[in-house]
Amino acid sequence: MSESRPYRRPIDPKWWWAPGPYRAYTLRELSGVAVALYGAVLFAGLICLVSGPMAWDSFLGFLRSPVSIVLHLVLLAGVVYHVKTWFETLPKTMPKMIVNGKQVPATEITRKAQMVAAGCSLVLVVIAAWAFR
Amino acid sequence: MPDVALAAKTVQLKVLRYRPGQDAEPSYGTFEVPYTDDMSVLQALQTIKDELDSSLSFRWSCRMAVCGSCGMMINGTPKLACNTFLRNLPKGPVTVEPLNNFPIERDLVVSVGDFVKKIESIYPYIIPKTPKTVEEGPYLQTPAQMAAYESFSDCINCMLCYAACPQFGENPAFIGPGAMALLQRYNGDSRDGGQQKRLDTIHGEDGVWSCTAVGVCSEVCPKQVDPANAINQNKTNSAFDFFLRFVRKDAR
Repeated sequence: MSESRPYRRPIDPKWWWAPGPYRAYTLRELSGVAVALYGAVLFAGLICLVSGPMAWDSFLGFLRSPVSIVLHLVLLAGVVYHVKTWFETLPKTMPKMIVNGKQVPATEITRKAQMVAAGCSLVLVVIAAWAFR
Repeated sequence: MPDVALAAKTVQLKVLRYRPGQDAEPSYGTFEVPYTDDMSVLQALQTIKDELDSSLSFRWSCRMAVCGSCGMMINGTPKLACNTFLRNLPKGPVTVEPLNNFPIERDLVVSVGDFVKKIESIYPYIIPKTPKTVEEGPYLQTPAQMAAYESFSDCINCMLCYAACPQFGENPAFIGPGAMALLQRYNGDSRDGGQQKRLDTIHGEDGVWSCTAVGVCSEVCPKQVDPANAINQNKTNSAFDFFLRFVRKDAR
């Protein structure tokens, strides 16, 4: 008769905060919330703009408040972290790039994509600074 | 094999034991093993079995990271015991446990039946686009066409990726990284025409969609197979297939 009595160990319910790659994953995913929140701020601005000059002025007032400045700094840090880690994940989500019969290394894809993202952001900042000079 | 009684230096191994006939649940057994600089964790386990406790059960075969038999949790990380050397581990006791996320059969031996069924489910062989007779010659392939899938063919079925995957831990029905790497090995092969057949096996929560791109599967892979890439490529394929299934020529 079989003596087999397989024992299933429970999964650690806090695996997502285990030090190392699991915590890095959780932080990467959490930083996506910063992107969503920043989108919500922009959306609120748009609604205020549609609602009339009074609403728009109060939105601008909110933007100038210390709470908003701290919030924007925190969100900026979150978004920058998200962009960095998003492009680190990018090579894992796309088909292998074969150039001249050889596979392009993941690190190179990440580096170039991050440079393009940084370049686009810089161009956007320059355009915004020029428009509001 | 070093002599236990004459050893100058020893290392302590904490091994998770489970004997189904006598234990209700697993518990740790501690062993002092003679230490040498060139010793792998597998050799330490063999020393225990040969000289200290012959009842200790573990799988091994090739001793050179080719067969994929000796996967286990070493200090909490899934590794092959044969290419993990004691000298590279932090000082202090070494914890050795069976692979996470798998039912334990005995000591360090886990059940592999479900994994084998998953491998079988994805048609793990080439389904030629147009079958040829021997007279018509071989199926040709350029180096670039081979590079598109070659790394996925390096998988040794050691299941370290499954032990690293929290989503497989949460949902044992999830097809998981190893089987998906094998699927991509065939789907990415220019000679193969079975893509649709395989894609049909991986839709849904138990298919690719349990994966949340944690990515640790690729980090622990001893053969740099990058199963996370195989899964995530096929999320795109699965999503396309969902939207395009009505316009496919062979739509059912």
